[in-house]
Amino acid sequence: MKRHQKDEQVNTESRGRALSSFTVELDVYSGPYEGLLTLILKHELEIFEVPLRELVSQYRSENLPGGSPGVEKEALERDTDFVDSATSLVLLKGRSLAPVPEHEEEEASEGGLSPQELEERLVTYLKIKRAAEALEQRLKRNADLFPSGHALHPRPGRLHLSIDRLVKALRRSFLRTAEPDERHLGPITVTVDELVALIRTSLVRGPLSFEDLVRDMDRLRSAVAFAATLSLASEGHVNLSQAEPFGPLTIEPVR
Amino acid sequence: MNAPEHQSAQEHTTPGATSAIEAILLVSSRPVSLSSILSATALPEPEVQEAIEELKERYAPGTSGIVFREVAGGFQLATNPICADVLERFRKEARPAPLSGAAYEVLACVLYLGPLTRGAINEVRGVNSDAVVRNLLDRNLLAEAGREKSRPGAPVLLDLTEDFLLATGAKGRDDFPSLGAVVDPEEIERVRERVRGQGQKISGGGEE
Repeated sequence: MKRHQKDEQVNTESRGRALSSFTVELDVYSGPYEGLLTLILKHELEIFEVPLRELVSQYRSENLPGGSPGVEKEALERDTDFVDSATSLVLLKGRSLAPVPEHEEEEASEGGLSPQELEERLVTYLKIKRAAEALEQRLKRNADLFPSGHALHPRPGRLHLSIDRLVKALRRSFLRTAEPDERHLGPITVTVDELVALIRTSLVRGPLSFEDLVRDMDRLRSAVAFAATLSLASEGHVNLSQAEPFGPLTIEPVR
Repeated sequence: MNAPEHQSAQEHTTPGATSAIEAILLVSSRPVSLSSILSATALPEPEVQEAIEELKERYAPGTSGIVFREVAGGFQLATNPICADVLERFRKEARPAPLSGAAYEVLACVLYLGPLTRGAINEVRGVNSDAVVRNLLDRNLLAEAGREKSRPGAPVLLDLTEDFLLATGAKGRDDFPSLGAVVDPEEIERVRERVRGQGQKISGGGEE
């Protein structure tokens, strides 16, 4: 393993620089630290191949100790950023090195995975691993082919329309505007305004029970009466009260 | 000026099947299926098949900078791989970063055992593969293909894409060797013996 050979002396210039200027020199990677993080996050570099102790040593050798007061704040921010990212790397590496997630281990120890199942699982994984190797070769062999780049867009006024497509489009547009079937509905003989007027008149005598209001009405008039009641309530002309769900509904005039 | 005559002559010339298919493939960046070619050319299938064979010969590797591919359920014209370096310089384009070993494993899982949920992929590989799957979705090598409704939460199923077939130069899923054929049976037997040996050691140790 190569060590990054940096002077251990105080380097006030480097203390003031952003973390982006920190470069690392490792066996597995050489370049900006942020590039290393990107490669790890993209799984293009396996975390367990990255010597974290070496990485921290390089950062320390480049940045510690001390610093001039003028750049202290920036240096503190950079150090914090580094500690934050390095901690995440340690956590990531710890997880990747753990052979089996804890709950799976418990399952296995509790007899969740029999020796035969384990054997089958390993054989399946072996097959997948070998298939992956073959796939890698196949992808590499085909990586040098560029498809024809002539993806033409329809030119204005030259889009070919077939009768079938036109009929389908027309059918779709007519479907959208088609009126819903109303044959099951009876003739509408009452309006919300009429029932609003009726409720207002009834309220002159004081609070009114909705059930009393609609007692002699058919279903349509009852529904419109309910809409009229809600309309009056939303406009602030009446208060509605109901002691319990599905209980009697009382309409009170707002004074 | 004899331009009008020239135009008229062009209008009345019907292209041969080979020329027509060649032209269709030239203006398409995606593979063109046989049914699309039949529909566009209005030619009988045997004639189209014959023309395709002629194009295969015309664009055989080693004879042209263009190659004829039978890929992802269709036909495609692409550049000859020997020209790749020249084209990369011309297009000022770097090659995409290669996939990781984990990514190839995930693709192999979905190819041979898929469509699979993320959980099923993790189970086969024994490690969490979510980040790898995300990368493959970004590269359009995997795509969501419905949900496994029989499992709690109806997790999303992942399947391979046409881009995967293009990237591997495969006509379809059947164009890959079977999973059993990719491993030497002796190697499988060695793994089985090792697992059994470990099991015996553990049970032997327990008795002592």
